[in-house]
Amino acid sequence: MLGRLAEQYRTSDKAGYVMVLPYILHFLLFTAYPLVFAFVLVFNRWDIVTPMEFIGIRNIQRLLRDATFWTAVINTLRFLASHIPLQIVLSLLIAVILNGPIKLRSFFRGAFFLPFVISGAVVTILWQQLYSTDAGILNLILNRIGMQPVPWLTDPAWAIYSIAIMATWKNMGFYIVLFLAGLQNVPHELYEAASIDGANRSQQFWKITLPLLQPVMLLVVILSTIGGFSLFIEPFVMTGGGPAESTLSVVLYLYKQAFQFLRMGYAATIGFALAIMIFVVTFIQRKLLDTDQPA
Amino acid sequence: MRTLTKALGYILLTVAALTFIYPFLWMASASLKPENEIGTLALISRNFSLRGYSAVFKQIPIGRALFNSGLVSITSTTSVLVFSSMVGYALARLRFLGRDSIFNLVLLTMMIPGQLLLIPMYILVVRLGWTDSYRALIIPAMISNMGIIVFRQFFKSLPQDLVDAARIDGCSDYRILFQIFWPLSKPVLITVGIITFIGSWNEVLWPLIVIRKWNMMTMPQMVTLFHVGGLANAQVAAEMAAAMMLAFPVIVAYLFFQRYFIESLALSGIKG
Amino acid sequence: MRMNPRSTMGVLLALALVCVLSVSAVGAKAPVTLTFWPSSNPQEIEFAKIIVKAWNDSHPDIQVKMEPLPASRSTEEVLLAAIAAGTTPDICANIYPGAISQYIAGKGLYPHDTLPGFYDFVYARTPKDVVDAFTYKDGHVYQIPWKGNPIMLAYNVKLLRANGIDTKSLATYSGFLAAAERMVKDLDGDGRPDQWLYAPTVDVTWWQRLFDFYTLYIGASGGKTLLSAAGKVDFENDAAVQVFTFLQTIFKKGLCPKGAMIGDAFLNGKIAATITGPWSVPYYDQNAPAGFEYDFVPIPVPDGMRGPVITFGDPKNIAIFATSKHPLEAWEFVKFIMSRENDLLWLEITSQPPYRRDLAKDPMFAGYFKENPLMAKFVEQGVYTRGVDDSKYLIEIFDAISKQYDLCCVQGKKTPKIAVRDAAQAVRDILAGW
Repeated sequence: MLGRLAEQYRTSDKAGYVMVLPYILHFLLFTAYPLVFAFVLVFNRWDIVTPMEFIGIRNIQRLLRDATFWTAVINTLRFLASHIPLQIVLSLLIAVILNGPIKLRSFFRGAFFLPFVISGAVVTILWQQLYSTDAGILNLILNRIGMQPVPWLTDPAWAIYSIAIMATWKNMGFYIVLFLAGLQNVPHELYEAASIDGANRSQQFWKITLPLLQPVMLLVVILSTIGGFSLFIEPFVMTGGGPAESTLSVVLYLYKQAFQFLRMGYAATIGFALAIMIFVVTFIQRKLLDTDQPA
Repeated sequence: MRTLTKALGYILLTVAALTFIYPFLWMASASLKPENEIGTLALISRNFSLRGYSAVFKQIPIGRALFNSGLVSITSTTSVLVFSSMVGYALARLRFLGRDSIFNLVLLTMMIPGQLLLIPMYILVVRLGWTDSYRALIIPAMISNMGIIVFRQFFKSLPQDLVDAARIDGCSDYRILFQIFWPLSKPVLITVGIITFIGSWNEVLWPLIVIRKWNMMTMPQMVTLFHVGGLANAQVAAEMAAAMMLAFPVIVAYLFFQRYFIESLALSGIKG
Repeated sequence: MRMNPRSTMGVLLALALVCVLSVSAVGAKAPVTLTFWPSSNPQEIEFAKIIVKAWNDSHPDIQVKMEPLPASRSTEEVLLAAIAAGTTPDICANIYPGAISQYIAGKGLYPHDTLPGFYDFVYARTPKDVVDAFTYKDGHVYQIPWKGNPIMLAYNVKLLRANGIDTKSLATYSGFLAAAERMVKDLDGDGRPDQWLYAPTVDVTWWQRLFDFYTLYIGASGGKTLLSAAGKVDFENDAAVQVFTFLQTIFKKGLCPKGAMIGDAFLNGKIAATITGPWSVPYYDQNAPAGFEYDFVPIPVPDGMRGPVITFGDPKNIAIFATSKHPLEAWEFVKFIMSRENDLLWLEITSQPPYRRDLAKDPMFAGYFKENPLMAKFVEQGVYTRGVDDSKYLIEIFDAISKQYDLCCVQGKKTPKIAVRDAAQAVRDILAGW
């Protein structure tokens, strides 16, 4: 065995080892080491300034009983449950329209894409003003058309959905482009053949377009899910996790535990819980939506 | 009937596009209004005022933040292009021990959520003494897994004859990569470059953690803290001015490179 | 790769030059440089700039470099991060006693009582009981009492008068609430009120509670802090329930705006009173519209309470960090900051009363108080203040109280009694050190 390895080494392109070296070093320093350290932290209690204290699985036990953590998880799920369907429906709708014979397609595409490239901080600060209950433009417009003002960010029942709406707005351009690319990959002949067979536009959409969009759909769902679990800057800036903890996201909770309370071990535990949740959820999504590939 | 759906389509698109552009227009106009008029719907105020902008410049070193962001983003992007293409090249066209394992490692690492590593990376930065320094912002961002995958994919598709001919001429792998492959990889370079640049420019959480000194902050970080830390003291015009200044470079670049932006991100999405 | 002889010579010469230069730099005697962090408040920075320049001009051998404390969601985060990263300054003039246990646990601060002439200087300037309040359980003094901001109720003189409200009625909860009901008015006829008496914040950030719940609690309880001397929960009592009830009523009855307002609502005349400290005085003077008149009274307390109103003293102290390489020189600078002349300068620029004994009687300050009669109120109130407890979990404790404040007062989802009970339970959990 060793002989074979030596032979392979002798005949290999030596430059390869040097070229991948930066990656190896980077990986060891910024991925492997932190991963191991995070794992160690889970079983310890540490506030950086005093020495680490081994506490076994107390962090894990605490996490399971921590009502605030589970609230954060539920908030995230509520966010995903509203954001993902909204995102898919709206982006797909606009992509379908844009796919047709529309003039000024680049202009529209450009307009929708703009919020995506802007920093989340800008979007959040902007929308916080728009959402202001007493002084914001949205309620002002509602008032003008005779409707009641909406307590966008001040009512716990509304707040997380307001953030979901904002997130949909911010990312829609990206998903429109994805869907557009997917739509353009559907061969025209299929539609023509279906027309000849007597299928109307609606039937063509449901029977041809949607099934062929499966891979893009899966991608959209997974990307929005990962994005949703990573929710941080929006609640951090807009609400600080309130009102009544309704917008506390898991990452925001992690940030608070680590950088306000200095509970590094507990924060690491939250981090692992988050990673596990993302993995489980995206795994389930892939199982449900991925039709042509074995898992 | 078809014209009706077409008209509906246009109306919907226009309304949607307006909802996308209007908030930015509002933000721009709010930054130029005196405080008491911000609650109105009027876009252009008669009392045009630059007080918001002057307040920002007086209270926070935003010019310095712009410089910091520029330095960090440009350096990171250049580094990512150089190193990711290097690794991608090695994985695509060279044979060596562990090549496939390394490729799998890159794929696997992409699945790890960043928040998990946040705390240990912060501790690492502290231990290395890199807090409040450019190193903390640039070095962890120097190589991109996504970049490696994209470059590898692309380099695999280039014809072997090119490489053979170059080798006969005695070119080292580095020359092949930078002098032959790179010129052929313009779209990929722009793609990866733009994604990396935007990601780096807009990054807030990491700078929030490792940078505490005002004059080392990146622009989004400073604007966020200006808003959140209470310094702005509810001066909306100033906050909007700061947000405008943060968004402005990206918007300008976006208007110029729109085609590349959109296509590059779509490409990455599909490949990802 | 082969080097040619000429470039080798060049490199060697350059190296030699560098060596010579660095050696000569080491040989010369460098002045001691101290880093000094004032707070990020604009007036405090102004004061810092002046005294740092004065000091540097007269002390060429001990130079002070000033770096304003970077803002963050909380100053404590920044200081602790500096301690962890080893990037601490020599001196910081924004030490908040609330977070001090964490600093000390981190061996962050210097035991100042070991400095030469410490007690002589400090007792000459500050009353003994104040110094005792800031002495840590191990007998050392890790922070030097510097200044306090007694929290009081600022009010818009003209607005209250126009609505027929006597400031005396603001002294008790029931009077305050009645006045609040009178003040809620819809002035522009759009069906929504535009004027209120007082707007408690809906922000759940932990330190906001210092200026609503905690201040009112100190008043309502006659001077209690959250924890007993033994470090146990001491706020599960009627006073806390009364404070929660008071705040909850304001929200429930619509006596305050819901959500953030644009601009400073007090200066805009939208709200007539706000709970704040003397640091607001220069801010109001600079930013108030023409003709704006304001004054201060003590915070409201529950009906039937007797004796002077005790309030939160928002103390801030100065500390030399344990990492400082020049603690003796730093001590000289600290004494300079707290000299009589500079205390007066401080008062003039920031309007924050220093912890100086006999401030009201000292002839040096008499001129100042004559010109600023408002400040005399703060000095009077300054005798009746409390700080925060010495717990390293202070931030988490306030965060837990914030959560109940949000649920009970802002959202009205819990009764005050249950909210206090839940807060106390959460704090016991935290103190038990899970």
